[in-house]
Amino acid sequence: MALEPRYGPRYGMDHRHYDWSAIPTRPRLEWPGGARVALCVIVNLEHLEWRPPEGSFHPAYLYDRPLPDYRNHSHREYGHRVGVFRVLDALEKAGVPATVAMDAFTARNYPYLVGHCLGRGCEIIGHGVSLSRVISSRMSEEEERECVRESVEAIARATGSATRGWLGPEYGESHRTPGLLAEAGIRYVCDWANDEQPYPMNTPQGRLCALPVMLDLDDAFAMKERGFPVNEYAEMLKDGFDGVYADAAESGRLLTLNLHPWLTGQPFRIRYLEEALAHIMASPGVWAATGSEIIDWYNKSLLSEGEGG
Amino acid sequence: MPTSLPPHRVDYSPIVERPPIRWPGGARVALWISPNVEHYEYLPTFDGQRDPWPRMPYPDVREYSYCDYGNRVGFWRMLKSLDRHKIRCTASLNLAVLEHYPEVREAMMERDWEFMSHGVYNTRYLSSMSEEDERAFYRQCKDLLRRHTGKELKGMLGPAISGTDRTPDLMAEAGLIYHADWMHDDQPVPIRVKSGRLMSVPYSVETNDGVIFRSYGDGSQFTRICRDQFDRLYEEGAVSGRVMCIAIHPFLTGQPHRIRHLDSALDYIMSHDGVWQATAGEIAEYYIANCYDAAAAHAAGING
Repeated sequence: MALEPRYGPRYGMDHRHYDWSAIPTRPRLEWPGGARVALCVIVNLEHLEWRPPEGSFHPAYLYDRPLPDYRNHSHREYGHRVGVFRVLDALEKAGVPATVAMDAFTARNYPYLVGHCLGRGCEIIGHGVSLSRVISSRMSEEEERECVRESVEAIARATGSATRGWLGPEYGESHRTPGLLAEAGIRYVCDWANDEQPYPMNTPQGRLCALPVMLDLDDAFAMKERGFPVNEYAEMLKDGFDGVYADAAESGRLLTLNLHPWLTGQPFRIRYLEEALAHIMASPGVWAATGSEIIDWYNKSLLSEGEGG
Repeated sequence: MPTSLPPHRVDYSPIVERPPIRWPGGARVALWISPNVEHYEYLPTFDGQRDPWPRMPYPDVREYSYCDYGNRVGFWRMLKSLDRHKIRCTASLNLAVLEHYPEVREAMMERDWEFMSHGVYNTRYLSSMSEEDERAFYRQCKDLLRRHTGKELKGMLGPAISGTDRTPDLMAEAGLIYHADWMHDDQPVPIRVKSGRLMSVPYSVETNDGVIFRSYGDGSQFTRICRDQFDRLYEEGAVSGRVMCIAIHPFLTGQPHRIRHLDSALDYIMSHDGVWQATAGEIAEYYIANCYDAAAAHAAGING
């Protein structure tokens, strides 16, 4: 049966954001010090608005009861008031730097948290304007450009430096997003859940790489959307790491974990994160780094192979 | 006025910076146990926003009778376990229960439980109420409680955790002192209102049998979560007091296959020193007398 003509050349992807590439066909990826696995942990600091702004898009489960919804709104706020400190402590104890995905509402309204994250040496990356304003193809190009600009600017003002990374709220993208991120000076994006190595994106506006997230190990995906209890989630984390680590004998691999403090920062859950991190960090050859450190290394190693980009 | 985000009720305050809380007797954890003693109507009225029985046209006999089991059977089984551990509960009470089921009322009265309003029926939500209706609602709740128990109402968990933008103001106006709908913290938190004083005593949608049993586990998960929750709060409570709430439903935890899991959670927790087993109202009154002003001033400093 004929494929749709809009897919153009039939080899490879059905879009132009990145090239098709099967992991065993790639040149060997070397991490610093001969590490097998680069570990990046993203901590989400995102604000759920009391009421979603008119015309905004957001997955239905964010507002699934009549408004106002004290229960859900305040459950999310728990992350900012209490949970984030447990999660950052757990990471620090394990020797894992945090890459904090912070939305504009948080950057503007929680100066204490901005200072706290910077004081701990976290990298802060863009995370949209709020959880209630998810980027999607329903946005016009101008609206989306403005959303990216507002997010990037809020972080620049709060932190005094430009953000280099991006994770959209709820992994939200339109068909234009990678180009608009590159245009705004973003160097890496974590919205794509499709690989165990970084890869370059095809953005004529500027050099952008994907730093892919392991979606099954995203705490909210596992425990909120799929409904797994935290002890089984911790098993998933350990098994997931073991699998990546085993295959990383041939070529360096990446494990990006995406965590939500309102969820994993609950008193009864935090112990399981601590145990999983201890398991991961007990293996020799784990390079725990921020998103920027990993992408800088990756770009440098591509250049030395003459891939350029 | 310090800045805050909508609904402009709470000033941001990171738990790691606050003035420490010292509970009575140097306790590390203030523990409140909240059985939801409820009545769901056989033929409720759909308010156009939230369908009480979304599975099928009313009545939904499966769901209705599952809940009714709580008052007929589960409540009495649960009582034995709570009595064994000498727990003084804070009933999250649909106040109509006092009228429908005097035997349940008497059992709670004998044990000197505190009664927190959980609305009149669990199938009548605040979210669709006008200001006048909501004001009348608080009068009705207070009247029902006074008439049937002689007690004064101190706090509320909104019916099925529903509310309006006005709820905290109207609660304070009616003389209530705590609002349990805020899941935002492991300590009480001042809530800004137009007049009077209100605070949150956080209830839990995590250490909550309804959430656990309907989503990701059964009795053994319940016990595990309660123990793990307690362990962490107890550890942190050595520095500054914490609050732990265990929310249960007689129709769920009172089932024969689950009751031993409540027993084992309570066995574990109550075997520790440094647990202040209190009611939500006791926690609120202590906090207002000893911690509220310092916490409010501190939050204003963080945000100002």
